[in-house]
Amino acid sequence: MVPGELGFVRHLALGLRRSISESLEGRTQGEAPTILRYLLPFTALILVGCGGQQSALDPSGEESEAVYRLFIVMVIGGVAIWLGVSALYIYAARHRQTSWPPAQASALIGWGGVAFPVVVLLALLGYAVWLMPVVRPWNSLAGTDGAIEVTGEQFWWRIRYPGVNGNPAFETANEIRLPVGQPATFSLDATDVIHSFWIPALGGKMDMIPGRTNFLTLTPKRTGIYRAPCAEFCGTSHAYMAFSVVVMEQEDFEVWRRRQISGHERSADQGWELMLRHGCLGCHSLRGEKIGGATAPDLTLIGARHSIGAGTLANTAENIARFIRSPVSVKPGAKMPAFDMLPQREIDDMARYLGGLK
Amino acid sequence: MILDWKRIIAAILALAAAGMLFAWSGLLDIRASTGHWRVTDWFLHWVMRSSVRTASLGTEPPAFTPAMLPLAAGHYEIGCAGCHGSPAMPRPAAAANMLPPPPDLKDVAGSWSDAELFEIVRHGVRYTGMPAWPAVGREDEVWAMVAFVRAYPQMNTTTYRRLAAFSATQSRDFAHLMKTCEGCHSSERLDQTSLIPQLTGQSETYLRDSLKAFVSRKRPSGVMQAALSQTSDEDRGNLAAYFARQTTPERSGPFSGTIDRGRTLAEVGDKARGIAACAACHDRADINPAYPRLAGQPAAYLENQLRLFKAGIRGGGPFADVMTQAVAGLSGEDIRALAAYYGASRN
Repeated sequence: MVPGELGFVRHLALGLRRSISESLEGRTQGEAPTILRYLLPFTALILVGCGGQQSALDPSGEESEAVYRLFIVMVIGGVAIWLGVSALYIYAARHRQTSWPPAQASALIGWGGVAFPVVVLLALLGYAVWLMPVVRPWNSLAGTDGAIEVTGEQFWWRIRYPGVNGNPAFETANEIRLPVGQPATFSLDATDVIHSFWIPALGGKMDMIPGRTNFLTLTPKRTGIYRAPCAEFCGTSHAYMAFSVVVMEQEDFEVWRRRQISGHERSADQGWELMLRHGCLGCHSLRGEKIGGATAPDLTLIGARHSIGAGTLANTAENIARFIRSPVSVKPGAKMPAFDMLPQREIDDMARYLGGLK
Repeated sequence: MILDWKRIIAAILALAAAGMLFAWSGLLDIRASTGHWRVTDWFLHWVMRSSVRTASLGTEPPAFTPAMLPLAAGHYEIGCAGCHGSPAMPRPAAAANMLPPPPDLKDVAGSWSDAELFEIVRHGVRYTGMPAWPAVGREDEVWAMVAFVRAYPQMNTTTYRRLAAFSATQSRDFAHLMKTCEGCHSSERLDQTSLIPQLTGQSETYLRDSLKAFVSRKRPSGVMQAALSQTSDEDRGNLAAYFARQTTPERSGPFSGTIDRGRTLAEVGDKARGIAACAACHDRADINPAYPRLAGQPAAYLENQLRLFKAGIRGGGPFADVMTQAVAGLSGEDIRALAAYYGASRN
C-alpha cells in the first residue's frame, strides 16, 4: 500500500484549500471558469471535513483502510457507470432519431441491461467479500483471552485491560490506549441499553448488546489521537458519549501501562481530603485506595485523559469543576448527583487535584 | 304573559341582583352561636359524607403496625387535641363552640372506613375548620394517624399518655422544648419497629440541616412541621447542638437472615445493578458531617426513609439529592435488608 494513496481525499482537500487561499489573494495563474471559482471553495469546505480525528475517510488502521479502499473502488465504479449511462442517454436523446430494429434492441437490452450489470455488480460484490476477512478478522476470535473489555453504560465507557505477561489487570474509563502496529481485540458488552463501538479512523462498528459479548479486532497503523463516538442511539446524552483512542509507540505504551498499574499516588492535598470527605469514592475509584466504588467511571490518572465526561469537555480543571457542580447540565441524564451545594472553593480544590493526576 | 328567552334571562339576572343585594344588606347572619338550620346541617353533612365516600374509592389501606401509634400520638397531642380533645384532656371549651363543633373521635371514628379517614386526615374538610395534613405527599404519616384514630375509641388516659408523651412546644423554655423532642425521640422509647429516628449520635450539622429542611418544607413531614412550628432559628440551633452532644446507648436489634445481604450491600454495593456502597458515605469517621449516621437507628425508620427517598419525596438538607440518586437502584428487598443491617449494627 502506497502511504499517499490512502490520504487521497485528504490530499485533494488540502490541495483545494491551498488553491482557494491563492485565489483569494489573487495569485491564480490561469483563468478558471467563473462557476468553478465559486464552486471550489464550497467543495473544499465539504472535503476538509473528511479529515481529522473522527473520520473513516482518513484511515489509520488496517481495517479502516480496507473499508476506505472499498469505498473508493465503489465510488469510482459508481461514477464510471453513471457517466456511461448518462452518455448513452444523451446519445439516445440527441443523436439517434430513428428507432432500433427489434433484434438489435433486444441485444442491446440483453447485453447492456442484464449482462453488464450482473458482471459489474458481481465484480464489486466479489471485491467486497474478498475484503471481509480484513474488515472482520474472524480468525482472531480463537484468541480472545487478551481482549480489552469495553462495556457501554449510559453514558460512558468502562474499560478493563486484562492481565497479560504477568502484568495485573486494571480498569480505566473513556480512553483506550493501544501500541501501534499490533492487533488489538476488544470484547464488547453493555449494561443497560444497546451502544455501538466505532473508532472511525481504525475500524468498526460493532454493536454492544446487554447480555451478549461481541468481539472486534483492529490494527492501528499510525500513532495519533482518535475520537470514537457511540454509534447507536442510547439515550438523552448519546451525542455526549465518546471515548478517545491514543495509538502510541510500543515503549510509550508500556510506560503508560506501568503507570496505570501502579495506580493512584496519594498526596497530602486539600482536594484529596475533600474527595474522601464528600464520599466521591463511593461510586468512583482511584486504583490502590482502600475505599472505592465501581458504579461510576474509574478516575485513576484522569488528568492524563484527553477529555472529561466521556468525550464531552476538554480536560481542564475548570471543566472538571463544572462537571462536579452540575453533571446534568453538561450531560443530560448523567447519573452523578449535582454537588452544587458545596462551596465553589471546595469544588475547585477537588477539580485541581483530579486534573493533576497524570 | 309570554315566556320567551329574553324574559327568562331578565328574570335570572334580577334574581341574582336581588341575591347580591340581600347579601350586601347584611341581613343574613353568619353567627356560629345560632347554629345551622337543621336542613342546612343535614345537607352539609350529607354532602361531606358523600364526597368523602367517593374520594376514598380505590384507596387501599396498608397493614397497621403498633409503631404507627407513637408517631401519630405525638402529632395528635400537638396538632389535633386542641380541637378534638384527647383521652388525657376533654375537648377545650373554646373549640366546642365552633360550627360545626369538632367531634369527639371516640364517637365518630367507627362511622368511617379506613380509606375515608385517610381522605379526611389528608385533605381536611372545607367550611369546618378541619385542616389538611401539612405535608400532603406524606401518605405514610397520614396512615399512621388513621391507625391512631382506629385505636382511639379504646384508648385510656394511661395508654395515651404513654404514646403521646410530653408536649410543650409553645413554651420558650429550652428545657421544655428539649423534653418535647425527647417525648418522641428519646432512646428509651424507641426500638427496631419505631418510625421515629434516634437523634443522639448524629452530628450537629446533620441535625441542624434536617431541622431547617423540615421548617422550609424541603423535607416534607406534617409531624415535624407541626412540632417545629413554634420554634425559632435559635431554638433549633440549640436543639441540634444539644442532641449532637448526647451519647447513644448501646442497643442491638433482632438478627435475621437479611442482615448478611444488607451488610454486603452496605459495605460493597452491587456494581452490576449500579448500587454504590452505603459505607462510602455513612458512619465513617472522616466523612462530611452533613451525612447522617445510620448504625443503631430503628430499622423501621430507616426502611420508611429509604422508601421516601426512592419515591422521590424525602427531601432533606443540601445533600439530600445525592441520596435520592444513591437509592435509585434499590429494590424493596434491598431496602428491608439494609434497614435490618443498620438497625442491628452497633453504634
